[in-house]
Amino acid sequence: MQAEAAIIIKELNKSYQESGVRHDIFKGLNLNVNNGEFIVLLGRSGSGKSTFLNLISGIDCPDRGKIIINGTNITALSEHDRTLFRRHHIGFVFQSYNLIPTLTVAENLLLPLELIKRITQKDRDKVCELLEKLNFADRLDSYPDRLSGGEQQRVAIARALIHDPDVILADEPTGNLDLDTGQQVLELLDTLVKKAGKTMIMVTHSQEVIGKADRVFSIKNKCLVIN
Amino acid sequence: MNPILNKSSRNFLWQHPWQLALAIVGIALGVAVVISIDLAMESSLTAFDQAGKAFSGTATHRIIASDGGLDEKLYTQLRVGQGIIKLSPVVSGYVQLAAQSDNRFKLIGIDPFIEKSFKPIWQQEQNKNQTADFLMRLVVEPNTVLISDKTAQSLNLKINDDFTILTDNGKQRLKIIGLLHANNAISEEVLAKLIITDIASAQEVLGSFGRLSSIEVLMDSYEPETLTKILKVLPGSALFISVDSQSQSMREMTRAFSINLNALGLLSLLVGMFLIYNTMTFLVMQRRKLIGSLRAIGVTRRQIFKLIIGEAFLLGIIGTLIGIALGIALGQGLLYMVSETINAIYFRIDTASLMITSAQIGKGVCLGIGATLAAVLPPAWEATRFSPVTALIRSRLESNTRRVVGVAKLLSFILIAGGITLAFFSGKSISCGLAAIFLILFGFALFTPAFTLWFMQLTDKLFGRFLSIVGRLPPRMVASEISRTGIALAALMIAVSATIGMELMIGSFRQTVTEWVQASLPADFYVSLPEEKMIAGKATEEHQLKKKLAELPGVQMLSSVLHTKIIANDEFTKVSVFELNPESRKGFIFKHKVSDSLWDRFEQQHTVMITEPYAYYHAINVGQKILLQTDKGKQPFEVIAVYADYSGDQGRLSMSRQNYQQYWPDLGYSGIGVYAGENTDLGQLENQLYKLLSGQQSVKSDKAIYKASMEVFEQTFSITETLRWLSAAVAFVGVLSALMALQFERTRQLGVLRAIGLTPRQLTCLVISETGLMGLIAGLFAIPAGYIVAYILIFVVYERSFGWTMAFHFDPAVIYQGLALAIIAAVLAGVFPALKMAQIKPAEALRLE
Ligand SMILES: Nc1ncnc2c1ncn2[C@@H]1O[C@H](COP(=O)(O)OP(=O)(O)OP(=O)(O)O)[C@@H](O)[C@H]1O
Ligand SMILES: [Mg+2]
Repeated sequence: MQAEAAIIIKELNKSYQESGVRHDIFKGLNLNVNNGEFIVLLGRSGSGKSTFLNLISGIDCPDRGKIIINGTNITALSEHDRTLFRRHHIGFVFQSYNLIPTLTVAENLLLPLELIKRITQKDRDKVCELLEKLNFADRLDSYPDRLSGGEQQRVAIARALIHDPDVILADEPTGNLDLDTGQQVLELLDTLVKKAGKTMIMVTHSQEVIGKADRVFSIKNKCLVIN
Repeated sequence: MNPILNKSSRNFLWQHPWQLALAIVGIALGVAVVISIDLAMESSLTAFDQAGKAFSGTATHRIIASDGGLDEKLYTQLRVGQGIIKLSPVVSGYVQLAAQSDNRFKLIGIDPFIEKSFKPIWQQEQNKNQTADFLMRLVVEPNTVLISDKTAQSLNLKINDDFTILTDNGKQRLKIIGLLHANNAISEEVLAKLIITDIASAQEVLGSFGRLSSIEVLMDSYEPETLTKILKVLPGSALFISVDSQSQSMREMTRAFSINLNALGLLSLLVGMFLIYNTMTFLVMQRRKLIGSLRAIGVTRRQIFKLIIGEAFLLGIIGTLIGIALGIALGQGLLYMVSETINAIYFRIDTASLMITSAQIGKGVCLGIGATLAAVLPPAWEATRFSPVTALIRSRLESNTRRVVGVAKLLSFILIAGGITLAFFSGKSISCGLAAIFLILFGFALFTPAFTLWFMQLTDKLFGRFLSIVGRLPPRMVASEISRTGIALAALMIAVSATIGMELMIGSFRQTVTEWVQASLPADFYVSLPEEKMIAGKATEEHQLKKKLAELPGVQMLSSVLHTKIIANDEFTKVSVFELNPESRKGFIFKHKVSDSLWDRFEQQHTVMITEPYAYYHAINVGQKILLQTDKGKQPFEVIAVYADYSGDQGRLSMSRQNYQQYWPDLGYSGIGVYAGENTDLGQLENQLYKLLSGQQSVKSDKAIYKASMEVFEQTFSITETLRWLSAAVAFVGVLSALMALQFERTRQLGVLRAIGLTPRQLTCLVISETGLMGLIAGLFAIPAGYIVAYILIFVVYERSFGWTMAFHFDPAVIYQGLALAIIAAVLAGVFPALKMAQIKPAEALRLE
């Protein structure tokens, strides 16, 4: 029995309108990503990597084409329903961490859970456990701006995973970090995701990560080309 | 200047049209309120001044008399006996059109041939030959008049038409023999409210045979002989004054009112300044990267400073120009309210139309641009300090802000303490009292951020753990962006506390006045008699009326009052002359303990009672003597009591009719109080009273008078009310602008929340609950501030302005309303930015750095 692909992208078209001129970013892009697969995305700056992740997460909309995630065609959903879909199924890791500065580390992690359900003591324990794994148990009540970049990114990764999403999207998670710290973060991401068997698409230039990927694509001529 | 440099920053400005528009609205509203008050006030007073000039022309001095007027013979005596030539007798009075009783005119009788040397306005513009013809006819034909061509047009009258007027002396017909033309707007305005005739006709029409209202005098600079001659024959009921001093004393009289109004205007401007400050800070902070880059490529600090100031200047000019246009429109509306209030508490003026002078416009321009530049100095200076290398991050800025909050807290204590000290240790100065209020408000405004941080910490500690994570966000967001939320909170706090303060003050005042009016209306009915006291035979007629009233079945007793003027300590002073009975004596509310012998002394000795404002202004107290001018020289009268009176702020004396009759002419009565016996049918009695009255005499029940008095009371506050709403409107725009800026600045953060999975609706709720929370804080903090403001208004400003003391009347409803106002305003101001933020596309929001 062949498992249904986690992400199916069909004939995706995306363009931007800028002062009357149309810039095509994607034209007739197709891709199938299997469940649990780890995909790395490469491409020149401005080629549309971030745009691609935004489209999959549903925070941006394509001009034409379909994006089907675990059987749900998100391009057919309303803004509201897409948001609800995102809260359940997608975990996002940004280049610039994007933690909520007014919430503590623990609260940042609880936020995605709270959007899905009532928070119980079990959830709190889960957060503690996860932070313990990250060697962070003592920073539970710190605010993000007191943490270093690498620490913030580790919390951001925890936040992307806490609600057990099906798909993790990571946009240059190490882009703002030095080599060593970046290494640690990538390792963390790799172990956590792999262990949980999640599907992940990551934009990165790290050679090491590229080596661990199941498939590597780059954006060329407004389409994805396998490396 | 550097065109590309300018463009680099100006392009940025155009990307924030809302901020620009709101800042302009802020300046415009502030300027509009200030200049509209100035225009309305000045127009009212100028109308009064000019109306005088219209017939007195170049007269330098004036002999004015009390209500009884001057004897005609005085004029002959001065002219023939003393040989003073440059004199012009005047008879004047108010008349109404029979057809439109609300259309009042001033009827002025002059001696047309003598008037020439005085060059009155009404003669200046006219065709010479025609004028000579008019003047002859005025004198020769009885009841012939001149009116302005504009008035004739509006009343549909032509030369040789007749029209009927109503005076205190009854109905009269007048014939128009000529039309006056005005060449400029001011004269036109003045002439429109005048009817000009000759002395004899005026006396005939007004019923004041043998009497003059005043005599205009033209005296070259300083002529001691003329002065001595005039003073020699001047009767005890007349004063010789210079025209300038008269118009000055009129301004002096309305000064308190005018200062209070201007303070309200400045309040709007102050709140408007918050707006500018907010906008410019926003524009500077948003451009810190741009400015950093500019500095890196070699743009100097001074250039940056100029750039920011230049922008503000431009905004200031646009805002000011719009504000002036708006102010003129607003002034038109205020004018009516201002003149009604002056009518109610000072003196009669006719509603004029708005007169706009370049000086007033200039003042508006200076205020608008000055306020803008003052508000922009801090952010402009800040901009010059952005280092070329590091563009500061927001959280760093916020931690700087927290230091500033600490300093502001300290400063606020100093301001509030200074304000309170100033309020109570500044003698009788009204301006100092108001300045104290401003200091206190400003102090509270500076304290708002610290209070907010503290309040938010408390909320978080107390309720944090019961709230959901999303629920914890609003208080944290308010606290974390205090540099922005603080401005919105402070602007809102100032407006709300001013509202609470004024509401409490008006409430206390209303309570006091209600008690006073009720107490001072002991009779069942009041007959009121014509105001005009020069009418021949008036006194005799009124004595007869009084006798008949006393004889009516069901009438137990009467009281009477005559309101007139007597020269006290060399100034015309309002005097109420009473015939009291045991009931009406209870109508006086004394400001101190009085002995039982008071009423005996009042009736039998040379004594007066004075009102509270009189005591305050003249610093006179019980036991002191006041010199009253009589035909037999100055007579000392001892002050035996000070009583409450809220009917005007000039103060008055009261004396017994017995005392009055010894020295002054019988002018009849102003009113007669009728006390019904027990078991009398009041309706029937009223009908009987009514039958005895004629002409301008009327009767009202105590209830009707109470109602009318309270209406006047409310009316005098209508302008305060209006201005307060205007400053609340400015505050609202301020809050809106600060919230818009705030939401814009956190676009990215809101984008992250959307990416995590908050729906647009949840985001809207989040933003609105944050602003609602801000409204709550502003409202809570406005309560103590408003309370202090009310206290100073009542016990400092009002006492100094009007000489009134009153009891503080605390009405909890005012507090709830203030709180509700703050929350509703904040939530309303939050709706637009909240909806706007909810619409933003998360992908776009995340692109922003
Ligand atoms: N809102 C927008 N309006 C106009 N053009 C846009 C918009 N968003 C993205 N673009 C354009 O789309 C292209 C792709 O942008 P995107 O951010 O996806 O690039 P990227 O591959 O992530 O680049 P980088 O590696 O530098 O992050 C760029 O040329 C960008 O200018
Ligand atoms: Mg990118």
